[in-house]
Amino acid sequence: MAERRRFKKRYCRYCEQKVDFIDYKDLQMLKFSLSERYKIMPRRLTGNCKKHQEMVTAAIKRARQTALIPYIVDRKRVVENPFELIK
Amino acid sequence: MNCYETLFVVKPTLTGEEIEAQIARVKEIIAEEGGDLKATDDMGMRRLAYPIEKQERGYYTVVYYTAPSELVGELERQLRYNEEILRFMTVKYTNKKELSVFEKMVEAANKKASAPKEEPKAEEPKAEETSAPEASEAQSEAPAAEAAAESTEA
Repeated sequence: MAERRRFKKRYCRYCEQKVDFIDYKDLQMLKFSLSERYKIMPRRLTGNCKKHQEMVTAAIKRARQTALIPYIVDRKRVVENPFELIK
Repeated sequence: MNCYETLFVVKPTLTGEEIEAQIARVKEIIAEEGGDLKATDDMGMRRLAYPIEKQERGYYTVVYYTAPSELVGELERQLRYNEEILRFMTVKYTNKKELSVFEKMVEAANKKASAPKEEPKAEEPKAEETSAPEASEAQSEAPAAEAAAESTEA
């Protein structure tokens, strides 16, 4: 129990903003749930609720398909374009 | 009739007129098949997150429309055959929450289309750099400038 208290209390940011639907073109919205390497962050780290995590996941996958965000950022591409891709 | 949104990416190698022709062609298909075009959102030339068909950039356009379900199949078939289209994506909006979001997006797109209509034209010559009043415009200009810089380096 003592260990548990060290962590900040997590809450769902999307719930806080009362988001009903996440548009895949709205990259600012997706950015929160992406890691530096554009992986989808797990719920245990972001604190997203299940409902919004599912929405975000779907939106991120759509954005990837349309080349709005990359599928992967490997070592080569990290050097080339650090964080400018998401606007 | 359902609400749909289709995003498509046109090749950057085409001239401005040709790109417009492609967009007009998509609108035509929607009109022919009995769809009702609600709004179009020009996202403009953007840098692709990863190269598609060896292209680093693409011209993004989103069309919002209501249409019978058969239209989508036909539209996607035509987009697939069209070699000038790099990518497309159709999203259907069904339940209440999604529909309300859809309407909001249509409004936003219409506003965007009606307000800065003159500015994208001014952008095309590229010589005159307006001070970019809107954040979105500054963003759309930035990748173009980057790409231009890259091409000069290469």
